Amino acid sequence: MNYLRLGQIFLSSLLAVLAGSILLSLFGIPPITGLTSLFYGGFFSEYGLNQTLQTMTPLLIMGIGLSVTFTARFWNIGGQGQYVMGSIISTWVGLSLSSVLPQSLLILVVLFSAFFAGALWSLPATLMKIYFGVNEVITTLMLNFVAVFLLDYLVVGPLQGPQSKALNAPASAPIPAKDMLGSLLPGGAIGYGLILAVFLAVIFFVLLNYTNFGYELKLMGQGYEVSSYAGVDTRKNIILAMSISGGIAGIAGMLQVFQINGVLLPQVFSDITTSYGYVAIPVALIASLNPIAIIISSLFFSGILTGAYSLELQYGIPIDIVTTLYGLVMMFTLIGMYLNLERLIKKT
Amino acid sequence: MTSLSVDLIASAILIGTIPRAMPILLAALGETLDQNAGILNLGVEGIMLMGAITAFTTEYFTENFVLAFIIAFAIGSLFSFFHAFASVSLKADQVVSGTALWFIGWGLSGVLYRFYFGNSPSPPVIQTLHHVSIPYLSNIPFIGRLIFGQDPIFYTVIMSLLFIHYFLFKTRIGLNLRTVGENPLVAKAVGVNPSLYRYLACMFGGGMAGLGGAYLVLTVVGSFFYDMTLGAGFIAVALVYFGKWKPLRVFVGSLLFGAVYVFYLTAETYFQYVPYQFIEMLPYLFTLIIILIAGTRAHSPASLGKPFHEE
Repeated sequence: MNYLRLGQIFLSSLLAVLAGSILLSLFGIPPITGLTSLFYGGFFSEYGLNQTLQTMTPLLIMGIGLSVTFTARFWNIGGQGQYVMGSIISTWVGLSLSSVLPQSLLILVVLFSAFFAGALWSLPATLMKIYFGVNEVITTLMLNFVAVFLLDYLVVGPLQGPQSKALNAPASAPIPAKDMLGSLLPGGAIGYGLILAVFLAVIFFVLLNYTNFGYELKLMGQGYEVSSYAGVDTRKNIILAMSISGGIAGIAGMLQVFQINGVLLPQVFSDITTSYGYVAIPVALIASLNPIAIIISSLFFSGILTGAYSLELQYGIPIDIVTTLYGLVMMFTLIGMYLNLERLIKKT
Repeated sequence: MTSLSVDLIASAILIGTIPRAMPILLAALGETLDQNAGILNLGVEGIMLMGAITAFTTEYFTENFVLAFIIAFAIGSLFSFFHAFASVSLKADQVVSGTALWFIGWGLSGVLYRFYFGNSPSPPVIQTLHHVSIPYLSNIPFIGRLIFGQDPIFYTVIMSLLFIHYFLFKTRIGLNLRTVGENPLVAKAVGVNPSLYRYLACMFGGGMAGLGGAYLVLTVVGSFFYDMTLGAGFIAVALVYFGKWKPLRVFVGSLLFGAVYVFYLTAETYFQYVPYQFIEMLPYLFTLIIILIAGTRAHSPASLGKPFHEE
């Protein structure tokens, strides 16, 4: 059954990418050439693979975080905002304490502050849902916009570095090189952030599948009323799940600064290529919310993204094609899963 | 601040509110129908973008705005057909399928724009719809221009608002539709086909969202920008909650929202000591506030977002 499900998902994703590749012919590129170039650029060229593994880090971490709330059918669409808040607070804390603390201690402090910031940013939506029954999709999404505008302000305001101010560029001061996270291989391919992400995937796999908390979340996924009857404290669990999910998104934001960018940069809403909080939604969903499977789906999604860049460079195909592909993959896997399951249920 | 500028802001809000409110109102009315039938469509944002790009392209090449609106409606219905298929026929998760539509519309609208208009730094511009002044009535001071001096689509929207209200609460089919949203089993027992109702409501609602995008492009902005809705689709969904699933209340909400939006457009010039990013947050903060006010005692259709199992 499990292998069957994996096969289904794999097949649906493949079909979705094939369907999306028809769009390439709009721009005069034969789909096969385009697809080869997409996958070569994303997974098989050295530069591409490097880039893919970097992009994968925040996607994997946020995908894991989302899987926690999604398991309880609580739709946290606010990963983007929580990620942004994590990056803001970690940059601020990191820059202020850089001269006081040694690197190892600083990273720990920064990590916790980012977790705290992300968790805190998820709280309003959680409370509004629990106490007033407000749909969480809308509240978490609105909070994303607020967070991104706040970031927009900070990088040209209080957090703008002196150099960027001189250049009139929206960015914070750079994180000192001594504080940056290193990588396992020279060239920055497998950063410590990615290792942390994989480690988290294992932990959350255990949490969701072998603990009481995970079991209760799954029960809540079947319906809140039912689980209340079964004695589950749904409110407490939602607050916990959302805090974990938001906190982890905050850590992803911190890693974006301390592992990859080395500086706090503004976000563009419309630009999905940097809006990892949104990409993490399909990443978690097509992996059926299984943290181990999210390792694969995040690799797949970041590979497509990197590959799409090379498509744009080579053939002038707009990068937006990748957003379409994400949506198609989501739709196709959804349809694929429910189609087959139905048939199976009827057969047995 | 002088009293002159206060006057200016006030009149700008009054005149600008209605055009700004219309795209969201159209989308929100469609979503009201959807949700009354028990379908939660979160793809509104993507559908609006698709409506915007198709309407813009049609208008640009044919200069036929009626055709542009029709095509935007059709593309909205087509998108929602997939949502209906997933959520009604397959009983799949509606949040997931709606989110998928959002992504597809978001990306595809950008791809289509690049296909038709290339990579020019300044987007092509179309003539926005002319305003029609109804004779005599539009000469009434102040209110005249406000109510009787709008573009032709405005009147259509107001009529469809009244029609949808009448349809939902005064007709037999409307009652059936709401029953499907409350309890599909009961509806089935009295001989109504819940799946058919849900399909039709979903496709019509999606078409309305497409119209919302078209209105945004054809009468408000006059041009297409990548991801130009900036959350308007989600705000439309929020308005349905604010309106407690009643079209007339949704209308009031959309006017409030239009006013906030225009305030934010004018405030950037007048409150220069406030960083503009904080002013740009306003529509989203406002949405959070109104949905909180509404959410406290909202009663949603009982089967909203739940698939209908026949047994």
